[in-house]
Amino acid sequence: MGSDVASAHKPSGAEGTAENATFWGRLVRWGPYIILVELTCASPRRQFLILAAIPILWVLTQHLGPMLQMLRVSLTDAYPVAQGVETQFTLDNYARFFGDRIFWMPFFRTLTFAAVFTLSTLIITYPVAYFLARHVRRENQLLFLLLLLIPFWVGEVVRTYAIMILLGNNGAVNLALRFVGLIDRPIPFMYTSFSMGMGIVYLTALYMLLPLYSALEKLPRSYTEAAADLGAGAWTRFHRVTLPLSLEGISSGCILVFLISTGFYATPVLLGGPSTTVFAETIAGFFHVAGDEWPTGAAFATIMFLTALVLTAIFQKLMNALRKGDTK
Amino acid sequence: MTRGTRILLSCIYWAFVLYVFVPLLLMVLMGFKDSRFIGFPIQSWTLDWYIGVFEDAEVLSVFGYSVAIAVASTAISIFVGTWLAVLLEGRKFWGRAAVFGLTILPALVPGIISAIAFRIYARLLGIEPGMFAIIWSHAVHNVPFVALVVMARLSTLPKSQTEAARDLGADPLVVFMRITLPYLVPAIIGASIFCLLLSFDDFVRSFFLGSYEPTLPVLIFAMLRSGMSPEINAIATVAVVLTAALGVWAERYMRRMNKETGR
Repeated sequence: MGSDVASAHKPSGAEGTAENATFWGRLVRWGPYIILVELTCASPRRQFLILAAIPILWVLTQHLGPMLQMLRVSLTDAYPVAQGVETQFTLDNYARFFGDRIFWMPFFRTLTFAAVFTLSTLIITYPVAYFLARHVRRENQLLFLLLLLIPFWVGEVVRTYAIMILLGNNGAVNLALRFVGLIDRPIPFMYTSFSMGMGIVYLTALYMLLPLYSALEKLPRSYTEAAADLGAGAWTRFHRVTLPLSLEGISSGCILVFLISTGFYATPVLLGGPSTTVFAETIAGFFHVAGDEWPTGAAFATIMFLTALVLTAIFQKLMNALRKGDTK
Repeated sequence: MTRGTRILLSCIYWAFVLYVFVPLLLMVLMGFKDSRFIGFPIQSWTLDWYIGVFEDAEVLSVFGYSVAIAVASTAISIFVGTWLAVLLEGRKFWGRAAVFGLTILPALVPGIISAIAFRIYARLLGIEPGMFAIIWSHAVHNVPFVALVVMARLSTLPKSQTEAARDLGADPLVVFMRITLPYLVPAIIGASIFCLLLSFDDFVRSFFLGSYEPTLPVLIFAMLRSGMSPEINAIATVAVVLTAALGVWAERYMRRMNKETGR
């Protein structure tokens, strides 16, 4: 009987399952439950259909749905549609993007910034990941890693604020520089692409660090040792052995950070200035005003998303080719 | 590896530790400064800003609102995410790759685009901006993380356990409830904490799908737009302490559970 089976296979195997067993025993003999099992588990096929139907419906309507609706709205002339008016499909919203400098400038700025910030994050976190994976004893690695994870539990807005305090005219950096005597007037770090970069790198470092660490940690030490035995110097060992074999981590980290940094909104608003307007702010602008601008906003968001996807796909292809070329 | 590179690398590591901790520590310190003016140096100290925060009924209600949203959205994400994981893990069926791709899609969409796509879709579904819309968007956004964590755990469940139960006559529902689900508990608890934190810290979705009642990050953002003030430091510090403590606890819990099952 089901009840006996279940108690025999209870993972903990603890005593005092008698009461538990009677609950499960009663359940499997309970009329409505038997009907339920007969209805749902009659055949493997039906069982699978019932298992699959709800989650598949969910991903189609909730995960894919919003993206498709955004695409659809981006092709209409007005949204929401007034009563009794037919929706006209149009490409005007996309044409608007190319027509005005104030639209495509932030777009290219966002892509450039995202690329630069991704590269900066990579350069900053690679030595850290390398140190963790290769120089820290295995039993301490998690501890060292967890130490770094603590600040990353804190939210986007709060960490952006922390950067504002750090870089302000009366912030810690300016205070320290003045104390040392390097400057006598505060350097205006804030509201520049530098402060924005500081903020975004600060927010995304973890997403680079973790893939790099897991790629480097998997790499057997014997490889570099063998290279050393064969007479390879430190630099050769690094760029001929370690670097090529960590390309997988580099590529997934870069893709993640690139996608995330194109989507920041609060950080550029708080840390950036008028000369660093990013596309997220442009898109958001269409949603703050009355609803009739929504189709343009949706079109711009679609442009952004598709571009980001295409760029990451090209990047992934390049990295794969590089990896294949190296292992030959 | 030479001694020199070793020392250099460890210096880089500790510099990075400083880089990630110092901004937050400075922010916390600033919340104890006895002046309205944000900036260094700090001449005298006070607890007034914290007392003010805990006496401010508006801040407390915003806090409760954020927690309620986090709890409700987490419940939905856990339910759907676990179901998806059970469907996807170790099962071959036509279109599995597509379903998997769709499952992780919300995690790959950049923040601003995800927020406005939800905003548009909410209007299509007839959901007014407000608490329910935020819960819904957070729930959808967090499903991928639950599914991935639960799938990782499920892949380590020995097949012999469920097969033995089936052979001895347990029906699939009983097998799920008495063997699979108890085995998944650590992953589900870990994923829940992760979702709670993601939802509690989320700004962009809460901002675009919210009505006039702000969540905590939206409130901090709005306060920041009208200038820095020590109240913000006090509110942010409370949020930092809570989220970091919960995050660290979840990490330690998951690690202990994984050790116990011999991984």
